[in-house]
Amino acid sequence: MNTALARAALPTARAIRWAPAAAVSGVLLAAAVLARATDGPANMLVATAAAGLAATVVSGLYDPAASLLAAVPVSVMQRRLLRLTLLGLPALAVWSVFDRLTVAQVSGPGPLLALTACGVAVALWGPPRNAVLLGAATPVVLCALPRVVPSAAFSDVVAWWLTDPWWVLLGATLLCIAGRRR
Amino acid sequence: MSTTTVRPRATVSAPASVTRALVLAEARRMLLNPVPWICLALTTWALWTVRPEPGEWPGSSYEGITPAVAPLLFGISVAVAVPFHRARHDVAPAAPVPEAHRTLARLLAALPFVAVAAAYAVLVAWRERDLGGLWLGMEPGRTTEAFHTTAELAQPVALALVAVALGAAVGRRTSRLVALVPALFVLWFVVSVYWLFGMPSVTPFSVIQVQPLNLTVGPASADPLSFPSDWLLVGHPHTSEGWQRQWVSEALAWWHNVWLLGIATLLIAVAWPRSGRRALLAAGAVLAVAGLVGQQVVIP
Repeated sequence: MNTALARAALPTARAIRWAPAAAVSGVLLAAAVLARATDGPANMLVATAAAGLAATVVSGLYDPAASLLAAVPVSVMQRRLLRLTLLGLPALAVWSVFDRLTVAQVSGPGPLLALTACGVAVALWGPPRNAVLLGAATPVVLCALPRVVPSAAFSDVVAWWLTDPWWVLLGATLLCIAGRRR
Repeated sequence: MSTTTVRPRATVSAPASVTRALVLAEARRMLLNPVPWICLALTTWALWTVRPEPGEWPGSSYEGITPAVAPLLFGISVAVAVPFHRARHDVAPAAPVPEAHRTLARLLAALPFVAVAAAYAVLVAWRERDLGGLWLGMEPGRTTEAFHTTAELAQPVALALVAVALGAAVGRRTSRLVALVPALFVLWFVVSVYWLFGMPSVTPFSVIQVQPLNLTVGPASADPLSFPSDWLLVGHPHTSEGWQRQWVSEALAWWHNVWLLGIATLLIAVAWPRSGRRALLAAGAVLAVAGLVGQQVVIP
Protein backbone atom coordinates (compact mmCIF):
# COMPACT_ATOMS: atom_id res chain seq x y z
CA MET A 1 0.00 0.00 0.00
CA ASN A 2 2.75 2.42 0.97
CA THR A 3 4.65 1.48 -2.17
CA ALA A 4 1.62 2.34 -4.24
CA LEU A 5 1.33 5.65 -2.43
CA ALA A 6 5.03 6.39 -2.95
CA ARG A 7 4.67 5.62 -6.64
CA ALA A 8 1.68 7.91 -6.81
CA ALA A 9 3.61 10.83 -5.34
CA LEU A 10 5.39 11.95 -8.50
CA PRO A 11 2.36 11.77 -10.84
CA THR A 12 0.26 13.52 -8.19
CA ALA A 13 2.87 16.26 -7.84
CA ARG A 14 2.80 16.67 -11.62
CA ALA A 15 -1.00 16.80 -11.65
CA ILE A 16 -1.16 19.55 -9.01
CA ARG A 17 -1.30 23.06 -10.47
CA TRP A 18 1.55 24.85 -8.74
CA ALA A 19 1.25 28.25 -10.42
CA PRO A 20 -1.52 29.66 -8.15
CA ALA A 21 0.30 28.46 -5.04
CA ALA A 22 3.54 30.01 -6.29
CA ALA A 23 1.76 33.29 -7.04
CA VAL A 24 0.18 33.38 -3.58
CA SER A 25 3.55 32.62 -1.94
CA GLY A 26 5.32 35.26 -4.02
CA VAL A 27 2.79 37.96 -3.10
CA LEU A 28 2.95 37.04 0.59
CA LEU A 29 6.74 37.02 0.72
CA ALA A 30 6.92 40.36 -1.13
CA ALA A 31 4.43 41.78 1.39
CA ALA A 32 6.52 40.40 4.25
CA VAL A 33 9.65 42.07 2.87
CA LEU A 34 7.75 45.36 2.57
CA ALA A 35 6.40 44.95 6.11
CA ARG A 36 9.91 44.36 7.42
CA ALA A 37 11.19 47.46 5.62
CA THR A 38 8.30 49.54 6.98
CA ASP A 39 8.52 48.01 10.45
CA GLY A 40 4.76 48.16 10.91
CA PRO A 41 2.35 45.94 12.90
CA ALA A 42 1.69 42.92 10.71
CA ASN A 43 -1.23 41.26 12.53
CA MET A 44 -3.67 41.63 9.64
CA LEU A 45 -1.02 40.54 7.18
CA VAL A 46 -0.28 37.40 9.21
CA ALA A 47 -3.98 36.49 9.33
CA THR A 48 -4.27 37.04 5.57
CA ALA A 49 -1.19 34.89 4.96
CA ALA A 50 -2.49 32.05 7.13
CA ALA A 51 -5.88 32.10 5.39
CA GLY A 52 -4.39 32.40 1.91
CA LEU A 53 -1.91 29.56 2.39
CA ALA A 54 -4.49 27.34 4.09
CA ALA A 55 -6.99 27.93 1.29
CA THR A 56 -4.30 27.12 -1.26
CA VAL A 57 -3.49 23.83 0.45
CA VAL A 58 -7.18 22.86 0.71
CA SER A 59 -7.81 23.79 -2.93
CA GLY A 60 -5.16 21.19 -3.82
CA LEU A 61 -7.65 18.50 -2.77
CA TYR A 62 -9.48 19.05 -6.04
CA ASP A 63 -8.68 16.04 -8.21
CA PRO A 64 -10.28 16.00 -11.67
CA ALA A 65 -9.27 12.34 -12.03
CA ALA A 66 -10.88 11.26 -8.75
CA SER A 67 -13.51 9.02 -10.34
CA LEU A 68 -10.90 7.47 -12.62
CA LEU A 69 -8.62 6.69 -9.68
CA ALA A 70 -11.40 5.14 -7.58
CA ALA A 71 -10.38 1.71 -8.89
CA VAL A 72 -6.71 1.89 -7.81
CA PRO A 73 -5.66 0.18 -4.54
CA VAL A 74 -5.09 3.49 -2.73
CA SER A 75 -8.03 4.83 -0.72
CA VAL A 76 -9.45 8.26 -1.41
CA MET A 77 -8.34 9.46 2.03
CA GLN A 78 -4.77 8.33 1.36
CA ARG A 79 -4.78 10.21 -1.92
CA ARG A 80 -6.09 13.27 -0.10
CA LEU A 81 -3.35 12.96 2.51
CA LEU A 82 -0.77 12.67 -0.24
CA ARG A 83 -2.02 15.88 -1.86
CA LEU A 84 -2.15 17.67 1.50
CA THR A 85 1.42 16.60 2.25
CA LEU A 86 2.70 17.63 -1.16
CA LEU A 87 1.12 21.09 -0.86
CA GLY A 88 1.34 21.45 2.91
CA LEU A 89 5.10 21.09 3.26
CA PRO A 90 5.93 23.94 0.84
CA ALA A 91 3.17 26.02 2.47
CA LEU A 92 4.77 25.44 5.89
CA ALA A 93 8.15 26.46 4.47
CA VAL A 94 6.67 29.67 3.03
CA TRP A 95 4.88 30.33 6.33
CA SER A 96 8.12 29.83 8.24
CA VAL A 97 9.95 32.41 6.11
CA PHE A 98 6.96 34.77 6.33
CA ASP A 99 6.81 34.34 10.10
CA ARG A 100 10.48 35.25 10.47
CA LEU A 101 10.16 38.34 8.29
CA THR A 102 7.15 39.85 10.04
CA VAL A 103 6.59 41.10 13.56
CA ALA A 104 3.13 40.22 14.89
CA GLN A 105 1.33 39.14 18.05
CA VAL A 106 0.73 35.69 16.57
CA SER A 107 3.60 33.40 15.67
CA GLY A 108 4.18 29.72 14.93
CA PRO A 109 2.41 27.34 12.56
CA GLY A 110 -0.75 27.01 14.72
CA PRO A 111 -3.06 29.36 12.76
CA LEU A 112 -2.02 27.91 9.40
CA LEU A 113 -2.58 24.31 10.56
CA ALA A 114 -5.87 25.16 12.29
CA LEU A 115 -7.29 26.90 9.22
CA THR A 116 -6.10 24.11 6.93
CA ALA A 117 -7.74 21.48 9.14
CA CYS A 118 -10.99 23.48 9.20
CA GLY A 119 -10.92 23.73 5.41
CA VAL A 120 -10.24 20.01 5.01
CA ALA A 121 -13.06 19.16 7.44
CA VAL A 122 -15.51 21.26 5.40
CA ALA A 123 -14.21 19.69 2.18
CA LEU A 124 -14.86 16.22 3.63
CA TRP A 125 -18.30 16.93 5.03
CA GLY A 126 -19.55 19.41 2.40
CA PRO A 127 -21.84 18.54 -0.51
CA PRO A 128 -19.69 16.50 -2.95
CA ARG A 129 -20.26 18.78 -5.95
CA ASN A 130 -18.76 21.89 -4.30
CA ALA A 131 -16.95 20.30 -1.36
CA VAL A 132 -13.42 21.45 -2.22
CA LEU A 133 -14.60 24.94 -3.22
CA LEU A 134 -16.41 25.32 0.11
CA GLY A 135 -13.38 23.92 1.93
CA ALA A 136 -11.04 26.41 0.22
CA ALA A 137 -13.43 29.26 1.00
CA THR A 138 -13.59 28.30 4.70
CA PRO A 139 -10.19 29.80 5.77
CA VAL A 140 -11.03 32.97 3.85
CA VAL A 141 -14.40 33.31 5.57
CA LEU A 142 -12.93 32.55 9.01
CA CYS A 143 -10.28 35.22 8.43
CA ALA A 144 -12.73 37.86 7.20
CA LEU A 145 -15.63 37.31 9.62
CA PRO A 146 -14.02 38.55 12.88
CA ARG A 147 -13.19 41.86 11.21
CA VAL A 148 -16.70 42.64 10.10
CA VAL A 149 -19.15 40.92 12.46
CA PRO A 150 -20.49 43.48 14.94
CA SER A 151 -20.95 40.99 17.82
CA ALA A 152 -17.77 40.84 19.91
CA ALA A 153 -18.67 37.45 21.40
CA PHE A 154 -19.26 35.93 17.95
CA SER A 155 -16.03 37.47 16.62
CA ASP A 156 -14.10 36.02 19.54
CA VAL A 157 -15.44 32.54 18.80
CA VAL A 158 -14.72 32.79 15.08
CA ALA A 159 -11.19 34.05 15.86
CA TRP A 160 -10.34 30.98 17.95
CA TRP A 161 -8.22 29.75 15.03
CA LEU A 162 -5.99 32.73 15.77
CA THR A 163 -6.15 32.83 19.57
CA ASP A 164 -6.40 29.08 20.38
CA PRO A 165 -5.24 27.41 17.18
CA TRP A 166 -4.22 24.08 18.69
CA TRP A 167 -7.70 23.39 20.11
CA VAL A 168 -9.26 24.28 16.77
CA LEU A 169 -6.74 22.01 15.06
CA LEU A 170 -7.68 19.18 17.40
CA GLY A 171 -11.42 19.61 16.84
CA ALA A 172 -11.09 19.90 13.07
CA THR A 173 -8.76 16.88 12.94
CA LEU A 174 -11.33 14.80 14.83
CA LEU A 175 -13.95 15.88 12.29
CA CYS A 176 -11.59 14.85 9.49
CA ILE A 177 -11.04 11.45 11.08
CA ALA A 178 -14.79 10.99 11.48
CA GLY A 179 -15.27 11.81 7.80
CA ARG A 180 -12.35 9.82 6.44
CA ARG A 181 -14.58 7.45 4.47
CA ARG A 182 -16.57 10.21 2.81
CA MET B 1 -32.43 32.13 -53.66
CA SER B 2 -34.32 33.88 -50.95
CA THR B 3 -31.69 32.80 -48.44
CA THR B 4 -28.92 34.43 -50.51
CA THR B 5 -30.79 37.74 -50.45
CA VAL B 6 -31.40 37.59 -46.71
CA ARG B 7 -27.95 36.42 -45.62
CA PRO B 8 -25.97 39.69 -46.17
CA ARG B 9 -28.34 41.65 -43.92
CA ALA B 10 -28.10 38.97 -41.27
CA THR B 11 -24.28 38.93 -41.28
CA VAL B 12 -24.12 42.70 -40.89
CA SER B 13 -26.46 42.84 -37.90
CA ALA B 14 -25.54 39.50 -36.34
CA PRO B 15 -22.37 40.44 -34.43
CA ALA B 16 -23.98 43.39 -32.65
CA SER B 17 -27.18 41.57 -31.77
CA VAL B 18 -25.35 38.40 -30.74
CA THR B 19 -22.90 40.40 -28.60
CA ARG B 20 -25.83 42.24 -27.01
CA ALA B 21 -27.58 38.95 -26.25
CA LEU B 22 -24.36 37.55 -24.77
CA VAL B 23 -23.88 40.66 -22.65
CA LEU B 24 -27.39 40.35 -21.25
CA ALA B 25 -27.04 36.62 -20.52
CA GLU B 26 -23.62 36.99 -18.88
CA ALA B 27 -24.66 40.09 -16.92
CA ARG B 28 -27.68 38.24 -15.55
CA ARG B 29 -25.48 35.32 -14.46
CA MET B 30 -22.85 37.55 -12.87
CA LEU B 31 -25.41 39.66 -11.04
CA LEU B 32 -27.08 36.52 -9.66
CA ASN B 33 -23.80 35.48 -8.04
CA PRO B 34 -24.24 36.19 -4.30
CA VAL B 35 -20.51 36.70 -3.57
CA PRO B 36 -20.17 40.34 -4.75
CA TRP B 37 -23.34 41.36 -2.91
CA ILE B 38 -22.20 39.76 0.36
CA CYS B 39 -18.84 41.48 -0.12
CA LEU B 40 -20.61 44.79 -0.82
CA ALA B 41 -22.43 44.42 2.49
CA LEU B 42 -19.08 43.79 4.26
CA THR B 43 -17.53 46.82 2.57
CA THR B 44 -20.46 49.05 3.51
CA TRP B 45 -20.28 47.77 7.07
CA ALA B 46 -16.53 48.44 7.19
CA LEU B 47 -17.15 51.96 5.87
CA TRP B 48 -19.77 52.59 8.55
CA THR B 49 -17.42 51.55 11.36
CA VAL B 50 -14.89 54.26 10.41
CA ARG B 51 -15.40 57.47 12.36
CA PRO B 52 -13.00 59.99 13.91
CA GLU B 53 -12.10 59.12 17.51
CA PRO B 54 -10.30 61.37 20.02
CA GLY B 55 -6.71 60.24 20.52
CA GLU B 56 -6.50 58.43 17.19
CA TRP B 57 -3.43 58.60 14.95
CA PRO B 58 -3.96 61.90 13.07
CA GLY B 59 -5.59 60.89 9.81
CA SER B 60 -6.59 57.41 10.96
CA SER B 61 -10.21 57.80 9.89
CA TYR B 62 -9.20 59.50 6.63
CA GLU B 63 -6.87 56.59 5.87
CA GLY B 64 -9.27 53.90 7.10
CA ILE B 65 -12.10 54.63 4.67
CA THR B 66 -10.21 53.87 1.46
CA PRO B 67 -9.12 50.23 2.07
CA ALA B 68 -12.65 49.32 3.21
CA VAL B 69 -13.42 48.72 -0.46
CA ALA B 70 -11.20 45.58 -0.57
CA PRO B 71 -13.99 43.00 0.10
CA LEU B 72 -16.10 44.48 -2.73
CA LEU B 73 -13.14 44.23 -5.13
CA PHE B 74 -12.57 40.61 -4.11
CA GLY B 75 -16.25 39.84 -4.72
CA ILE B 76 -16.20 41.52 -8.15
CA SER B 77 -13.09 39.56 -9.17
CA VAL B 78 -14.66 36.26 -8.10
CA ALA B 79 -17.92 36.99 -9.92
CA VAL B 80 -16.08 37.92 -13.13
CA ALA B 81 -13.62 35.01 -12.91
CA VAL B 82 -16.38 32.39 -13.05
CA PRO B 83 -17.67 33.17 -16.58
CA PHE B 84 -14.15 33.70 -17.89
CA HIS B 85 -13.17 30.32 -16.48
CA ARG B 86 -16.18 28.82 -18.26
CA ALA B 87 -14.61 29.98 -21.54
CA ARG B 88 -11.83 27.42 -21.01
CA HIS B 89 -14.26 24.55 -21.65
CA ASP B 90 -13.79 22.68 -24.88
CA VAL B 91 -17.26 23.56 -26.16
CA ALA B 92 -16.45 27.28 -26.23
CA PRO B 93 -14.06 27.26 -29.24
CA ALA B 94 -16.76 25.59 -31.34
CA ALA B 95 -19.26 28.36 -30.61
CA PRO B 96 -20.46 30.31 -33.68
CA VAL B 97 -19.32 33.63 -32.16
CA PRO B 98 -15.62 34.64 -32.32
CA GLU B 99 -13.73 34.46 -29.06
CA ALA B 100 -13.01 38.19 -29.13
CA HIS B 101 -16.75 38.94 -29.20
CA ARG B 102 -17.39 36.57 -26.32
CA THR B 103 -14.59 38.15 -24.30
CA LEU B 104 -15.89 41.63 -25.06
CA ALA B 105 -19.41 40.56 -24.10
CA ARG B 106 -18.22 39.23 -20.73
CA LEU B 107 -16.28 42.41 -20.03
CA LEU B 108 -19.29 44.58 -20.91
CA ALA B 109 -21.48 42.35 -18.75
CA ALA B 110 -19.24 43.14 -15.78
CA LEU B 111 -19.78 46.90 -16.13
CA PRO B 112 -22.73 46.93 -13.66
CA PHE B 113 -20.14 46.14 -10.97
CA VAL B 114 -18.24 49.28 -11.96
CA ALA B 115 -21.50 51.19 -11.58
CA VAL B 116 -21.88 49.65 -8.10
CA ALA B 117 -18.38 50.88 -7.24
CA ALA B 118 -19.32 54.37 -8.47
CA ALA B 119 -22.42 54.29 -6.26
CA TYR B 120 -20.21 53.21 -3.36
CA ALA B 121 -17.92 56.20 -4.00
CA VAL B 122 -20.96 58.49 -3.82
CA LEU B 123 -21.91 56.78 -0.54
CA VAL B 124 -18.41 57.46 0.84
CA ALA B 125 -18.70 61.14 -0.07
CA TRP B 126 -22.12 61.35 1.59
CA ARG B 127 -20.93 59.50 4.70
CA GLU B 128 -17.98 61.88 5.16
CA ARG B 129 -20.29 64.87 4.96
CA ASP B 130 -22.73 63.17 7.31
CA LEU B 131 -19.90 62.81 9.85
CA GLY B 132 -19.08 66.50 9.42
CA GLY B 133 -15.67 65.74 7.93
CA LEU B 134 -12.69 63.63 8.94
CA TRP B 135 -9.67 64.64 11.00
CA LEU B 136 -6.18 65.24 9.65
CA GLY B 137 -3.05 66.57 11.35
CA MET B 138 -2.44 67.87 14.87
CA GLU B 139 -2.10 71.37 16.26
CA PRO B 140 -0.96 73.77 14.93
CA GLY B 141 -1.56 72.15 11.53
CA ARG B 142 -4.91 70.41 11.90
CA THR B 143 -8.35 70.18 10.30
CA THR B 144 -11.52 68.43 11.42
CA GLU B 145 -13.26 68.96 8.10
CA ALA B 146 -11.23 66.84 5.69
CA PHE B 147 -13.04 65.28 2.75
CA HIS B 148 -11.59 62.97 0.15
CA THR B 149 -10.96 64.75 -3.13
CA THR B 150 -12.81 63.88 -6.33
CA ALA B 151 -9.74 62.03 -7.61
CA GLU B 152 -9.56 59.94 -4.43
CA LEU B 153 -13.28 59.18 -4.68
CA ALA B 154 -12.75 58.11 -8.29
CA GLN B 155 -10.26 55.48 -7.10
CA PRO B 156 -12.93 52.83 -6.21
CA VAL B 157 -14.23 53.09 -9.79
CA ALA B 158 -10.73 52.60 -11.25
CA LEU B 159 -10.17 49.78 -8.75
CA ALA B 160 -13.42 48.13 -9.85
CA LEU B 161 -12.08 48.14 -13.42
CA VAL B 162 -8.89 46.49 -12.13
CA ALA B 163 -11.02 43.94 -10.22
CA VAL B 164 -12.98 43.11 -13.38
CA ALA B 165 -9.77 42.79 -15.40
CA LEU B 166 -8.06 40.71 -12.71
CA GLY B 167 -11.04 38.36 -12.48
CA ALA B 168 -11.03 38.03 -16.27
CA ALA B 169 -7.30 37.34 -16.47
CA VAL B 170 -7.16 34.89 -13.58
CA GLY B 171 -10.39 33.14 -14.60
CA ARG B 172 -9.26 32.75 -18.21
CA ARG B 173 -5.72 31.59 -17.48
CA THR B 174 -6.15 29.43 -14.35
CA SER B 175 -7.06 25.83 -15.00
CA ARG B 176 -8.76 25.17 -11.64
CA LEU B 177 -11.60 27.39 -10.51
CA VAL B 178 -11.06 26.37 -6.90
CA ALA B 179 -7.52 27.85 -6.96
CA LEU B 180 -8.94 31.30 -7.68
CA VAL B 181 -10.38 31.83 -4.21
CA PRO B 182 -7.05 31.89 -2.30
CA ALA B 183 -5.24 33.74 -5.08
CA LEU B 184 -7.80 36.55 -5.33
CA PHE B 185 -8.20 36.75 -1.56
CA VAL B 186 -4.47 37.15 -0.96
CA LEU B 187 -4.06 39.65 -3.80
CA TRP B 188 -6.87 41.96 -2.67
CA PHE B 189 -6.32 41.72 1.07
CA VAL B 190 -2.56 42.19 0.87
CA VAL B 191 -2.91 45.36 -1.21
CA SER B 192 -5.46 46.64 1.32
CA VAL B 193 -2.75 46.69 4.03
CA TYR B 194 -2.07 50.26 3.04
CA TRP B 195 0.83 51.07 5.33
CA LEU B 196 2.96 48.61 3.33
CA PHE B 197 2.91 51.18 0.54
CA GLY B 198 3.28 54.24 2.76
CA MET B 199 6.86 55.11 1.81
CA PRO B 200 6.94 57.82 -0.90
CA SER B 201 9.18 55.62 -3.06
CA VAL B 202 6.69 52.70 -2.93
CA THR B 203 3.41 54.65 -3.02
CA PRO B 204 3.28 55.00 -6.83
CA PHE B 205 3.30 51.20 -7.15
CA SER B 206 0.42 50.68 -4.72
CA VAL B 207 -2.90 49.33 -5.92
CA ILE B 208 -5.16 50.76 -3.21
CA GLN B 209 -3.49 54.11 -2.63
CA VAL B 210 -4.20 55.70 0.72
CA GLN B 211 -3.45 59.34 1.36
CA PRO B 212 -2.12 61.36 3.14
CA LEU B 213 1.56 60.69 2.57
CA ASN B 214 3.63 61.48 5.66
CA LEU B 215 6.68 63.49 4.58
CA THR B 216 9.33 64.34 7.17
CA VAL B 217 9.80 68.11 7.17
CA GLY B 218 11.84 68.80 10.28
CA PRO B 219 13.33 67.44 13.52
CA ALA B 220 11.28 67.08 16.70
CA SER B 221 12.94 70.25 18.03
CA ALA B 222 11.68 72.35 15.10
CA ASP B 223 9.09 75.04 15.76
CA PRO B 224 5.87 73.85 14.04
CA LEU B 225 4.77 77.48 13.63
CA SER B 226 7.73 78.01 11.31
CA PHE B 227 6.13 75.70 8.72
CA PRO B 228 3.63 77.10 6.18
CA SER B 229 0.27 77.63 7.83
CA ASP B 230 -1.64 75.47 5.32
CA TRP B 231 0.43 72.36 6.08
CA LEU B 232 -1.21 69.55 8.03
CA LEU B 233 1.34 68.36 10.58
CA VAL B 234 1.97 65.37 12.79
CA GLY B 235 4.73 65.06 15.36
CA HIS B 236 5.52 63.77 18.84
CA PRO B 237 4.06 61.57 20.38
CA HIS B 238 2.70 60.11 17.12
CA THR B 239 6.01 60.00 15.26
CA SER B 240 9.58 59.19 16.18
CA GLU B 241 11.07 60.98 13.18
CA GLY B 242 10.32 64.60 14.05
CA TRP B 243 7.67 66.67 12.36
CA GLN B 244 5.93 65.22 9.35
CA ARG B 245 3.64 66.86 6.84
CA GLN B 246 0.41 64.98 6.08
CA TRP B 247 0.29 65.59 2.36
CA VAL B 248 -2.90 65.08 0.34
CA SER B 249 -2.70 65.61 -3.40
CA GLU B 250 -5.50 65.42 -5.93
CA ALA B 251 -2.92 65.35 -8.74
CA LEU B 252 -1.25 62.31 -7.20
CA ALA B 253 -4.62 60.56 -6.97
CA TRP B 254 -5.45 61.34 -10.62
CA TRP B 255 -2.08 59.97 -11.79
CA HIS B 256 -2.65 56.93 -9.60
CA ASN B 257 -5.96 56.37 -11.37
CA VAL B 258 -4.08 56.48 -14.70
CA TRP B 259 -1.70 53.81 -13.31
CA LEU B 260 -4.72 51.70 -12.32
CA LEU B 261 -6.22 52.03 -15.80
CA GLY B 262 -2.88 50.84 -17.17
CA ILE B 263 -2.91 47.79 -14.89
CA ALA B 264 -6.53 47.06 -15.89
CA THR B 265 -5.67 47.25 -19.60
CA LEU B 266 -2.65 44.96 -19.13
CA LEU B 267 -4.79 42.44 -17.26
CA ILE B 268 -7.48 42.56 -19.95
CA ALA B 269 -4.72 41.83 -22.47
CA VAL B 270 -3.96 38.65 -20.52
CA ALA B 271 -7.59 37.55 -20.82
CA TRP B 272 -7.99 38.68 -24.44
CA PRO B 273 -7.55 36.23 -27.38
CA ARG B 274 -4.36 36.45 -29.42
CA SER B 275 -5.66 38.92 -32.02
CA GLY B 276 -5.68 42.39 -30.53
CA ARG B 277 -3.64 41.45 -27.49
CA ARG B 278 -0.57 43.38 -28.57
CA ALA B 279 -2.51 46.62 -28.93
CA LEU B 280 -3.92 46.18 -25.43
CA LEU B 281 -0.48 45.40 -24.01
CA ALA B 282 0.96 48.52 -25.66
CA ALA B 283 -1.88 50.74 -24.46
CA GLY B 284 -1.68 49.30 -20.95
CA ALA B 285 2.08 49.75 -20.78
CA VAL B 286 1.82 53.38 -21.93
CA LEU B 287 -0.89 54.16 -19.37
CA ALA B 288 0.94 52.38 -16.55
CA VAL B 289 4.26 54.10 -17.26
CA ALA B 290 2.53 57.48 -17.64
CA GLY B 291 0.76 56.93 -14.31
CA LEU B 292 3.98 55.95 -12.57
CA VAL B 293 5.99 58.86 -14.00
CA GLY B 294 3.18 61.29 -13.21
CA GLN B 295 3.07 60.14 -9.60
CA GLN B 296 6.85 60.32 -9.24
CA VAL B 297 6.83 63.89 -10.61
CA VAL B 298 4.03 65.00 -8.29
CA ILE B 299 5.45 63.55 -5.06
CA PRO B 300 7.73 66.20 -3.49
